[in-house]
Amino acid sequence: MLTPTAPGAADPPPAPPRPRLAQGLLLLLVLVVLAFVLDVALGPVRIPVLTVARHLLGHGPPADAATAFIVHQIRLPKALTALAVGSGLAVSGLQMQTLFRNPLAGPSALGLTAGAGLGVAVVMLTSGGVASALAVRQVGLAGSWALVLAATAGAALVLALVLALAARVRDNVVLLIVGLMVASVTGALVSLWQYFSAPEQIQAYLLWTFGALGGVGGAQLAVLATVVGAGLALALASAKPLNALLLGENYARSLGLRVRRSRSLIILSTSLLAGSITAFCGPIGFVGIAVPHLTRALLGTADHRVLLPGACLLGAALVLACDCLAQLPGSQLTLPINVVTSLLGAPVVLWVVLRRPLRAAP
Amino acid sequence: MLQTLPSPGRAGGVAFAFFTGRRGWLPGLLLAGHLVAGAQARPPQAAAPGPAARPARLAARPAPAAGRTTVSYAKGFTISYVANYKLLTIKSPFEAKAPAARYLLVPRGAARPAGYPDAQLIATPLRSLVGLSSMHVALADFLGAADVLVGVGSFQYVSAPRVRQRIAAGQVYEVGQSTELNNELLVARHPDLVMTTGWPGEGPGHFQTLQAAGIPVLVNSEWVETTPLARAEWVKVLAALLNKEAVVNEKFDAVAREYQRLATLGRHATRRPSVVVGLPFKDVWYVPDAGNYLAQFLRDAGATYHWDRTRAASGSLALSFEAVAPVALTADYWLHTGTLTTKAALLAQDARYAAFAPVRTNRVFNNNLRTNAQGSNDYWESGALRPDLLLADLLHILHPELLPAWTLRYYQPLR
Repeated sequence: MLTPTAPGAADPPPAPPRPRLAQGLLLLLVLVVLAFVLDVALGPVRIPVLTVARHLLGHGPPADAATAFIVHQIRLPKALTALAVGSGLAVSGLQMQTLFRNPLAGPSALGLTAGAGLGVAVVMLTSGGVASALAVRQVGLAGSWALVLAATAGAALVLALVLALAARVRDNVVLLIVGLMVASVTGALVSLWQYFSAPEQIQAYLLWTFGALGGVGGAQLAVLATVVGAGLALALASAKPLNALLLGENYARSLGLRVRRSRSLIILSTSLLAGSITAFCGPIGFVGIAVPHLTRALLGTADHRVLLPGACLLGAALVLACDCLAQLPGSQLTLPINVVTSLLGAPVVLWVVLRRPLRAAP
Repeated sequence: MLQTLPSPGRAGGVAFAFFTGRRGWLPGLLLAGHLVAGAQARPPQAAAPGPAARPARLAARPAPAAGRTTVSYAKGFTISYVANYKLLTIKSPFEAKAPAARYLLVPRGAARPAGYPDAQLIATPLRSLVGLSSMHVALADFLGAADVLVGVGSFQYVSAPRVRQRIAAGQVYEVGQSTELNNELLVARHPDLVMTTGWPGEGPGHFQTLQAAGIPVLVNSEWVETTPLARAEWVKVLAALLNKEAVVNEKFDAVAREYQRLATLGRHATRRPSVVVGLPFKDVWYVPDAGNYLAQFLRDAGATYHWDRTRAASGSLALSFEAVAPVALTADYWLHTGTLTTKAALLAQDARYAAFAPVRTNRVFNNNLRTNAQGSNDYWESGALRPDLLLADLLHILHPELLPAWTLRYYQPLR
């Protein structure tokens, strides 16, 4: 598992022609647009695509308040959230896989998701019995700022710990283990808390862990988009260092890369992405692990200048598609998004694991 | 209870008893929420009796003989009086094939009657009772037998003033729930009976330790009933255990008569305001299905309920926010909003609620008026046994002209 082979570096890319890559990216862009339109058009309430389009363009019949509400207040924010979640998680996963040179690394590898979970648990499960504690919870948690702030604080705490360690620990594998251990400890703390909490509080927490793209609207969506945008910009800026890191840290250093600084930048970018997304939408699994592999397979390159936008687009398309499936077309029911992404993502991870020995053989 | 919960449990009435019955059983919790009315194994005949059928049946029922009670609404248990003992049968609400649990209620000191080798023997009248859920506290309190209650699952979930007094005086012990059940304490104190809440997949082996110690365990599954009166009628189980049949006949019949009187008012109301129930959590909005006892409340209160004909195996429907939003946008009333007490808190959860008609017209009502300092909501305790008061509250909210002088007991408007 922890063999320091760079993903995709097993067979050095023979620098494929640029036009093919451009075509690939364009194809992905079309996919994203299609998935976005589909996501807004589909839902438990049947609305003709043309009506949806007219509402989106602001020409909806004013009398139809329910449809307008559904399109503008429910579906559009949800699709935009899916866009941010997909691109953010996929890019942070790609960065982690390259940084740790481990094909199974993901945004959760640093313990960020677990940290966010701990933050949420602290707020949600804070033991009742004291009137003041109850009052805090009365403020409202679902989609509320309290939840977001707690998750961000939890992720930031873990991030600070990891960054501090990253400055001391030179070995990325050790850092990965540190992340796993931090996740383990925070997970145990949450379990302990659950054990001593009222069942209905645990249910609220469990619902959060299922992940949800809905309920992020207005100001929250603006914050999410800004933070994810910043994280993505940082990530794109780190494309060159990532390429150098693919060849190993020593080699990267000999190329003149300031490894420690680049590493901090990459960790910061990942933390912004994974932390903010987990805060708003709950832990959403497998996108971060699966999409980078899919992107590499699809574009046939290890060049992060292409892979980063590619993963960004593919991740967005995948999460949008998952959201379409989560709504169980033709039914009024809805599945938790985390279930759908995991159902799709787990086979991809299996594929990666099973494929590796075959590729290493020659 | 966290206001984040769209809680099927809440909407469905499993609520408290249900969750408190299973704390610690994490993987099943969510599932738990869905298993509200236990409709999984709801027997076909358990469907709510037709609106017209019930008053007639009530009138036709022969007056019970002294010291006996008859079961009129509940489908989950029967009591038969045989010679000098009583045979209490509780059907397994979850698996149709599972044998019903039998209890022989025998006067203290009398010999065990022949037959029913698998039945548990309980000496009557009970002198000490441990009730694991808040519903059991309500049962004892309703019968004026709060002093029999010597142990509860959790102090936090007790509202009855008399029981709170006894807790403060150190006369009640706390035994925990389910997997955390303090068996050692129970064996040491040896109560006459431990009353617990039924749970799917929970075999009789679950309480082996207690039974081996000779402590009878009675599984009370009132929450699978589909009507409010049926649910409340489970008080007759405890009445039979306490030899308080005369008390329960008088008190429960008064509740049932008043409920029927109010339901007649509600069902004949000409205006039928539409109602949306529950609080969504992000994408999911759990609403009670047609077989849920809450749906029966709404029918009897003369409301229009959008999912009045939709059945689900679990007793509640997990709908997407989008499926419920169009209904909520134009509804007349919005009921049961978690633990929220103010409109500001409601809008803090999701600003989109502001577009719902009940929010704009200040017609959002929650069932948590009687929440005490511990955060325990008496709606799930005494409310379970006073469906007449709950229905009066609903009628007053939905049809103010029918009960103009009524003061709300369990519900309150969100301000």
